[in-house]
Amino acid sequence: MPTSAPPPSNYPTRSEDLIGRLNSVHIPCEAKLKALRELKNQIIGNRTKKIAFLKLGAVPSLVSILSSAVAENGGNLEFNEPVIIQSAAAIGSFACGLDAGVNAVLDAGAFPLLFGLVSHPNEKIVDACARSLKLIYQSKLAPKYNFLLEKNMDFLLSLLNSKNENVTGLGASIITHSCHTSLEQETLSEAGVIKKLISLLGGSLIQRDASLESLGAIIKENPVVVSKFMGPVNGRALNVVTELTKDRYPQTRLLACMCLILIRNASTCYLQDAGIKTKLILILLELIDDPGQVGDEAPFALSSLIAEKEDLQKIAFDSNIVDKLCNHLEKGSLQAKSLQGIFLALADLCSKLECCRDRFLSLKAFNFLTDVLTHDSPEVRTAACICLKNISRSVKNLSAGHFMNEVVIVPLVQLLHDTCTSVQIAALGAISNIVVDFTEHKSTFIHCGGVKQLVQLLKSMDPTIRFNAMWALKNLIFLVNSMCKEEILLELSPSILISLICDPETSVQEQALALVRNLVDGAIDSVEYVFSEEGLLLNAIGRQLQSASKVEVLIQGMYVLNNVASGNEFHKEAVMNLLFPHAGSDTQTILIKFMQSTDSRLRTASVWALVNLTLTSSPGANSRVMKLQRAGIVSQLKNMANDPCLDVKLRAKTALGQSMMFVDPSMGKFVFTC
Amino acid sequence: MPVRVVETSSPSQVSGTTPGNNTPPPCTLLSVGQGFSGTQNVSSLQKDEAWRVNVQIQGIDHDHGYLCGTMEALNVPMADTPVVTFWEGEIVDTKNYTFFTGKWGATTEDDIKHWTKFQSFSPLLSKVEVDGGKTLDLSNYPFIFMRWKEQYFVNVGTDCGLTIAGFYYVCFSCSDGSINGFYYDPNSSPFQKLELKSTNDGRSGFSFSTYELQ
Repeated sequence: MPTSAPPPSNYPTRSEDLIGRLNSVHIPCEAKLKALRELKNQIIGNRTKKIAFLKLGAVPSLVSILSSAVAENGGNLEFNEPVIIQSAAAIGSFACGLDAGVNAVLDAGAFPLLFGLVSHPNEKIVDACARSLKLIYQSKLAPKYNFLLEKNMDFLLSLLNSKNENVTGLGASIITHSCHTSLEQETLSEAGVIKKLISLLGGSLIQRDASLESLGAIIKENPVVVSKFMGPVNGRALNVVTELTKDRYPQTRLLACMCLILIRNASTCYLQDAGIKTKLILILLELIDDPGQVGDEAPFALSSLIAEKEDLQKIAFDSNIVDKLCNHLEKGSLQAKSLQGIFLALADLCSKLECCRDRFLSLKAFNFLTDVLTHDSPEVRTAACICLKNISRSVKNLSAGHFMNEVVIVPLVQLLHDTCTSVQIAALGAISNIVVDFTEHKSTFIHCGGVKQLVQLLKSMDPTIRFNAMWALKNLIFLVNSMCKEEILLELSPSILISLICDPETSVQEQALALVRNLVDGAIDSVEYVFSEEGLLLNAIGRQLQSASKVEVLIQGMYVLNNVASGNEFHKEAVMNLLFPHAGSDTQTILIKFMQSTDSRLRTASVWALVNLTLTSSPGANSRVMKLQRAGIVSQLKNMANDPCLDVKLRAKTALGQSMMFVDPSMGKFVFTC
Repeated sequence: MPVRVVETSSPSQVSGTTPGNNTPPPCTLLSVGQGFSGTQNVSSLQKDEAWRVNVQIQGIDHDHGYLCGTMEALNVPMADTPVVTFWEGEIVDTKNYTFFTGKWGATTEDDIKHWTKFQSFSPLLSKVEVDGGKTLDLSNYPFIFMRWKEQYFVNVGTDCGLTIAGFYYVCFSCSDGSINGFYYDPNSSPFQKLELKSTNDGRSGFSFSTYELQ
């Protein structure tokens, strides 16, 4: 059957024709207006069309038409005003939900034009421009509004005082978009914006929602502003917001809940009543069922409500929330945003409470969790890793070996290659916990290529990656058997370890030293690891102990020495040589400094090393005690026999008691050099 | 450690007390990774018997008065392999837990009867009798009292003919890391004594490993 031939390539498409008509100076006014309407109708809610018209330069054309119509100011009103309305609406539509559209609108200079028209005498123009500006302000790309300029604040207040709900909505959107610092929050509060926004809570749906959102921006993490919000000037503001948590519109309920959560999170003085906490949890649970955007965002609100708060997590658990969130997962075909929110909420629930972890694991939701480790969205992968990290804080389940299997480990190790840094860091967090595994299955991680990849990440330029990779390796080496140690050290050479002990970041140094501490623990043969490469590793540890100032680094370094000093005579002597490199000199040894530290953990580690060095059963203990005595250590130990820390006191007494068993041959009798 | 089946609770958690710093201090000998070995006397009227026992501390959370680990019974007559159980412990810190168990079938009389078997407990007895020891200051006391409750068998099934229905009253010496305990289960031989000492893997001294959960 014959068909029509395709149009020649130089034949304009309908879209090109439409843009042509918009740009033409020869077509009648009515035709141009018609073209504007046609463009607007085509792009509303149609991302593909928006992108196509953006490529054809539609936005500069629209802004040019708007600009010309404004410039004619009072000319052909019958034509100009509808043109302004239609072009403003189309500009707003381009900016709605499309970053490229927002960029095009801003580049074409639409922003000041639209702002100028917000005070136009024609209410329909004001309406259209306010709507467009609101859409632009929904994007992070919109310019930040400077509230600190007086004229800007006056203008904002004029917007909020407008009788037009889209204009007040615009004012609120500006606040939501641009209020971030505590100075901005306090400036807005001082200017009476809170009171105005509270009054708008009694207005239309648009005004209520916009005001709730901007109130959230003003009070977020600012206890000073929260106290003003709760103060007498603002009347029964809290009651108004609380009432709105029962509103018929889900979006309003969600925004009201978020507002209350921000109040509670900013200041522990408010909303402590168990009743309101339970209500918030139940409302948010119900909102998760909403099929739209509200349902996607509700888990995030829930997460911010319960994060780090064990009491709320318990209330949420008692409300059967783990089951309900897992039921959502079972429904399947959830959008990425929804999955991300649910896993983050589950992560917070399982962050502290074993009962939540137990419940989650008993519901078989773990299968969903491992499935989404390979999800397309990096946000979902990150959330899944965070959830897995928190669930694997359960020593009970780690001890049962519940996480160390290929279903979990293989995708996690894959995520160490992820192109997204936040995914890598989240995966490292989960791995750090899982590899603690107390069973004999740590080799599963090694055989899945985990160590190889962790060692690669130790070479990362990103200090957070190095830190977390080192943390994971440290936990992996904890209580590992000798065979696994050998396998790990095939990848982790002494030179890599030395470079990380001397890493520019102290947090990395600390983890590296803690790893060596674990490495030389266990079977006595393990101590030999620090003597590899002609003792370079032990020397690097010695240098860090001499130069580091961060107490956590020193603690780990001293535990390395302690563990080495629990070895044979050769090992003990090596530690003595490291601690007292210049025997006979008057310089105060680092050990005295550590024993006098204000940090009891460092004092403890130091005194333990002395317990090991002075063990009476060791053949060389005698000469070591003499050396310690000459260095003033024994005298310092005597001072520590009444240390305020019981652990230090007991070890000091042990070390002192052991030292007293020996006699200084030069003095004939043991003498304290107090 | 499991015992032979011969053949349950309200929480003992403290409520209504103000959290203070009267809790037992952290002790390096009772930290993660530390191992202990010794025996549990399981003698009955019929015969004297003691099982060799190894314990490893796997987790400790001072804020919540919680610790956990594994217990390995080595020469259990009816088992082919050593029997490993996972246990969870309550540290008597007067903040989270008192000397009164309040569950697992133990009455306050049972509690007192068992705690008084530890010599180091006697200075505390008068205050414990009043309210379980809520007002005691244990922050400088060189002994840590705990209850260890086995939760599950790690390497054998529940049909192994052994029971973990009871729990241990435990006293840990901060000075030398020795552990004494008494197993309590109304259905088992009374006062089965657990005696453990800190182990050192054949070393000439004490070694300490570490892990941290993220």
